[in-house]
Amino acid sequence: MSAIAETLSIRTTVLWRRGAARRLLYGTETDRGAKARARVKLAILAFVAVYAVIAVRLVAFGIASDRSAVHRVIVGDAIATARPDILDRNGEVLATDVRVPSLYAEPRRLIDIDEAVELLTADLPDLDATELRERLSSKRGFVWLKRDISPEQQREIYRQGLPGIGFLNENKRTYPNGPEVSHLIGHVDIDNQGIAGMEKWLDGHGLAALHMAGLATDRLQNPVELAVDLRVQHALRDELVNARAKYKALAAAGLVLDVNTGEIVAMVSEPDYDPNNPREALDPSRINRLTTGVYEMGSTFKAFTIAMALDSGKVTLKSSFDARMPLRFGRFDIHDFHAQNRVLTIPEIFTYSSNIGAARAALAVGVDAHKAFLKKMGQLDRLRTELPESAEPIVPKRWGELNTITIAFGHGLSVEPLQAVMGVAALMNGGILIPPTFLKRTPQEAAALGQRVIKPETSEMMRYLMRLNVEKGTAEKAEVPGYYIGGKTGTADKVINGRYSKTKVLTDFMAVLPADKPRYLLLVMLDDPQPLPETHGFTTSGWNAVPVGGAVVARIAPLLGIEPRLDLPNADQQILASVKESR
Amino acid sequence: MTLRILNLVVIGFLVLAAAYVYRIKFDSTVQAERVAKLRSEVRHERDRIAALRAEWGQLDNPARIQALAKRYLALKTIEPTQFDTFDALPDRPTPPPGADSPDPIGGVIENMVEPGTTGSIPTPAPASAAAAPVTAGNNPPPKPAAAGAPGQ
Repeated sequence: MSAIAETLSIRTTVLWRRGAARRLLYGTETDRGAKARARVKLAILAFVAVYAVIAVRLVAFGIASDRSAVHRVIVGDAIATARPDILDRNGEVLATDVRVPSLYAEPRRLIDIDEAVELLTADLPDLDATELRERLSSKRGFVWLKRDISPEQQREIYRQGLPGIGFLNENKRTYPNGPEVSHLIGHVDIDNQGIAGMEKWLDGHGLAALHMAGLATDRLQNPVELAVDLRVQHALRDELVNARAKYKALAAAGLVLDVNTGEIVAMVSEPDYDPNNPREALDPSRINRLTTGVYEMGSTFKAFTIAMALDSGKVTLKSSFDARMPLRFGRFDIHDFHAQNRVLTIPEIFTYSSNIGAARAALAVGVDAHKAFLKKMGQLDRLRTELPESAEPIVPKRWGELNTITIAFGHGLSVEPLQAVMGVAALMNGGILIPPTFLKRTPQEAAALGQRVIKPETSEMMRYLMRLNVEKGTAEKAEVPGYYIGGKTGTADKVINGRYSKTKVLTDFMAVLPADKPRYLLLVMLDDPQPLPETHGFTTSGWNAVPVGGAVVARIAPLLGIEPRLDLPNADQQILASVKESR
Repeated sequence: MTLRILNLVVIGFLVLAAAYVYRIKFDSTVQAERVAKLRSEVRHERDRIAALRAEWGQLDNPARIQALAKRYLALKTIEPTQFDTFDALPDRPTPPPGADSPDPIGGVIENMVEPGTTGSIPTPAPASAAAAPVTAGNNPPPKPAAAGAPGQ
């Protein structure tokens, strides 16, 4: 180095500088030996530095190489996002991910497009040749050719050894039970994103964020357990499919709710669809009538009216109302379907399903109190559950006496059937309103969520009325010996083009079982059932929804673990006696 | 001289250390590759389990089972009257004397009050004594009071 400096620096200033540098390094008294030692030291220092750098890099490589080995395996599959399994309350699989190969191409690496198109269309006949050619001719680095091919097709294409054609394993959502749980569970789109039902709820609860971060590629460990019981769901659906065919109804829907926890154990809305083929869900006749539709529930609403009257204290079971004449209000006449033309007591109003009696009972409590009561029962606000689908109830804007009269027997207020079930469950379970859920819930959690809406004695009296209605009322055909069913029927005239139809009805039936110690509430709903010879031309609920409800109870009660108790006394002794004792 | 020996020793150590480090490194690479391979195998197994579970779910679907049962079995829906509670079960009958001996059947026969009172055809006394063990062995141990009547 100094030699180069010497040759370059001729001028005296440079020479002087060199002398100064030398004086700094070696001091003024320098000899050649000291100079040599200093140079050796410098060389050692340089080499140590170089080796230190090499050593550090080696350690760094040593640490990094481990991770690259792991990564190497994951490349090649898993790009579509994984979803957790969905199980029913007994651990049966409702939805799971299965790996399926998908075919892709890297057009830039293709050699002969014509050959590729020819060979691929030979193996995959449903692939459109012109579209395929277009895709392969594009300048993009990556194009999907076909998602979800069979293993045989994969083997065939692999054997052709086309360059630039490859496979990726993707997660595909499968629903082994087909249409059984369709509306409840919803479905996913081609990229495994939930777009309906509980699948969408899953995405809204953390899964979407995981997808964004690219973390949800491997199989997720924790399955989601729903409250639904697949066996009960199947029994309900089977009976409803039969009923819909028998009564030639437009639609049939049913729901089973645990009245003590608010868990929805089964929910069926027929016609439904197969979530494996989500295109079917687009058909508007296949909507979920229990949560996306609002209906006038008919006489089932009398349960609310009578409960309100009893709970207010102004009316007792002994009270009676005049039902001798149709109730005249302005230009409207309110008639009874099962007209008795006499003074009716509260139990008679309930069992004969008297519109006049219910209307008079509601008027006795008052318009404002009626509105406040229904608000308290959650019938006037939109009900939110885990399902993304929900509908707002149609509440009259100006709520006058006429509205109270009609709403007292279930016309003039349209609610989601699920909402009505929630309210009736509160009337049955001792007076606690519990928001319904599709997820598992313990009685403790339910107790924390529940709100007292009516007195326990009122609930007891309502159960008595429900049971009485099956023993000697409109719901006689629902009786299944041993299960002590209580129930209320409802028949609502359908609104066609803004007018009440004379012939088309919506019938429903709510059954509580067992009526003395309620555990489950069942709803059966038929849209536009047709008269049959064996129904003697009637289309009211007692002739169609009620026998279906009885058939459903006979099938699901053993599955729900309800022990049949034969030889139970009638409602007066079994339920009403305990009410009197507690007073 | 000592310095040279020291140098040689140090060089020897260096070679040994290098060899040792190389072995560790090599082993760890092998292990890492095994881990990666096992991991991918676990993934494949999990995927196969999921596929099998999906298939099981399909085969176990209540609608399918119902269709099969309807076609091949003469079973009917259960009636509420077919249920009973454990409380309604009658008490277990008291075992006949001698049933707790090591040879229960022999014990019962020996303790029988009258060996001939089975449901068998009555025969003269000596022959019945010889036939009794056979009949008693085939039938459940008879209660002396209940058994004799229909046969005689």
